[in-house]
Amino acid sequence: MVASLYGAAEAQETIWVFLEQEGGVLEGVSLELLAKGHQLAEGVGWRLSGLLLGNEVGDLATTIIAQGADQVILADHPLLEVFTIEAYAAVTFQALMDHMPSVFLLGATPNGRDLAGRLAVRLRTGLNADCTDLHLPSETGVLVSEVSGFGGGVLALIEMQKHRPQMATIRPGVFLPGETDHGREGEIVNMEVALNTEMIHTQVVERVVGEGVNLSQVPVLVAGGRGIEGDFDMMRQLARLLGGDFGATRPPVDEGHIERERQIGQTGVVCRPKVAICCGISGAFHFVVGIQEAEVVIAINSDPDAPIFDYADYCIVGDVHQVVPALIQELQRVGEVSCA
Amino acid sequence: MAKGMIDEDSVVIDDERWLELVELTNGAATICYQCGACTAICPWGEAREGTVSIRAMMRQAQLGLMDRSEELWLCTTCAQCEAHCPRGVNIADVIRGLRYLVWQQHQTPKGLPSLLWSIHWNNNPWTQPPSLRSAWVGDLHIPIYDPGQHEILLYVGCTASYDRRAQQVARSLVSLFDAADTSFGFLGDEEPCCGEAALSVGHKPYFQEIAADTFHRFQEKGVRHLVTISPHCYDVFRNHYPAAMGQNCLEAHHYTQCLAHLLREERLHLDNPVERRVTFHDPCYLSRHNDETAAPRQILQAIPGLKLVEMAHSGIDALCCGGGGGRMWLETEPGQRFADRRVQEALAAEAEVIVSACPFCIACLEDSVKAQGIQNLVVMDVAEVAVLALKTEMSTRE
Repeated sequence: MVASLYGAAEAQETIWVFLEQEGGVLEGVSLELLAKGHQLAEGVGWRLSGLLLGNEVGDLATTIIAQGADQVILADHPLLEVFTIEAYAAVTFQALMDHMPSVFLLGATPNGRDLAGRLAVRLRTGLNADCTDLHLPSETGVLVSEVSGFGGGVLALIEMQKHRPQMATIRPGVFLPGETDHGREGEIVNMEVALNTEMIHTQVVERVVGEGVNLSQVPVLVAGGRGIEGDFDMMRQLARLLGGDFGATRPPVDEGHIERERQIGQTGVVCRPKVAICCGISGAFHFVVGIQEAEVVIAINSDPDAPIFDYADYCIVGDVHQVVPALIQELQRVGEVSCA
Repeated sequence: MAKGMIDEDSVVIDDERWLELVELTNGAATICYQCGACTAICPWGEAREGTVSIRAMMRQAQLGLMDRSEELWLCTTCAQCEAHCPRGVNIADVIRGLRYLVWQQHQTPKGLPSLLWSIHWNNNPWTQPPSLRSAWVGDLHIPIYDPGQHEILLYVGCTASYDRRAQQVARSLVSLFDAADTSFGFLGDEEPCCGEAALSVGHKPYFQEIAADTFHRFQEKGVRHLVTISPHCYDVFRNHYPAAMGQNCLEAHHYTQCLAHLLREERLHLDNPVERRVTFHDPCYLSRHNDETAAPRQILQAIPGLKLVEMAHSGIDALCCGGGGGRMWLETEPGQRFADRRVQEALAAEAEVIVSACPFCIACLEDSVKAQGIQNLVVMDVAEVAVLALKTEMSTRE
């Protein structure tokens, strides 16, 4: 195996977190990684550093320190205004080589994955992708990354013995963000950034924020079947009040009430929400496959013999057009509820 | 060769790939003389705009070319083409071989890899927990198969084990076996998957692995003769296990054949009148793949009061439900589903019940009846109809 550009002997006892920001606002996963990084660093008596790239983002440094970092490495440059892989990879690589941290963590976001892969190759080190947990035993200083495979069917615990930095991308949402502590003190290190336009082959022509749908990760799923008669506004409203998203069985999709990417089941999306609310769904086998990994299933159907009730933890026999509006009304009364 | 002669549209023959295809398909495409009867008869020609050229696929197989088209995955392996092929080409084998080449390139349609992983981890293609395989039994008390004691091993199969609708068929069959006083058992949670789903999507090497494991399990349990609920399981046990595990390795029957036999031996009596006008939808894997069109009809015709009518296409010419060839795990555009047209044929025959004998057919037909909002047609399995004809006091163990 090829040796990494720096090894365990040269590596410094620091944990680095890549801080993703957009328009001067930190991504949620960055806050989660700061909290986890802080916890790991305290456990082994190391320092936690946050690496922040952007244009005129220096104001974020105090927040980052308040969230647990001992140090902020700040790379501020007009060419870092938007994420381009050439610029971000070059600057991050330089920062890592200058400071040689033992651990480098990134969020498993589209940009985080893109950056991590390139850096791992450039540094000739390993990368544990899409981790769901991290441990750092103080005896060894070797990071243990938990990676799940095959839809959660197996768990692998991965260690990197000799290669540094020990890189990992972490799935958003697996760690909780920490408390803000304004009393914390930390150091801000301004990096010299040597970038010019010739180095960047990507030109951002236009930025469009799409309404992407990813039902596989939603905490609360509201699913509508034939019985809701195409009333997806009702589903959308209920989902929003519960901090979740909504999907459908095959018939409403076929009938054009809702887009195909919201179809749940064997030939659609398989979801693992904490709560799934099935409205007007009979419970055909091909649909049930898509929600049976939900922690709690609530079914609303007017037919007491509907097969969906065999899979549900809570069964509501009633007309969805009466039950759901009543539920929405009550949720509006008590205010927003989050099951996440 | 002049520079620039090979462009993207050029056909490049790859001898190694050609040899591999010949091996995967036993050279099935070799004898095709490209008449195109397959393309003409393919039901996709009527279901969607533009034909699906099966003939072109056969040509690709002859030359060892990869087929990267979406059409390759449309094939339900219904074997309408095989029934009309003047050269007797085993077309479904060729299609599966072409699909395997796509597996090698990791370019299969979304959802199919997880089907194989599910068999690997869960022993079924439906991502269902292995520990619940025999939960369908409920309070029926079916004994675990003992070769010294039981004349029949009931091979339930993955779909009838887990799909709530198909479970009703399994339970009906148990009532019929009881009524005929047969001694039978099953393998409970230890029943292995037959591997048909892996074969149907073209992953022959993985199928052969499953077949070896499953056959080994059967040997351990002393299984020689088994009766299946799904024609798909029946087909692989009858037609594909011998190639993988040796001739006469197993004796398999479909449950309709078994029930027809019990009727002939006068052990099963279907005396209760069922005053319904019914039509029979032949599952492809019973009729065209295994030449069995008589047994299910013999059962239905033995029932007093029942009027059996035939649809425009029946027996060897029956129209597929659309669920074979791995299509149960792939989405079919609305308006293109074969089952939609099939239930219309049943309505045209003025049937009140469309009867079939395959869990996939039942699922597809029932979906179409619901989707089209049809009120005057129900979908039933042969076993469910037969249970209605049992004298009530014998009709159930419950």
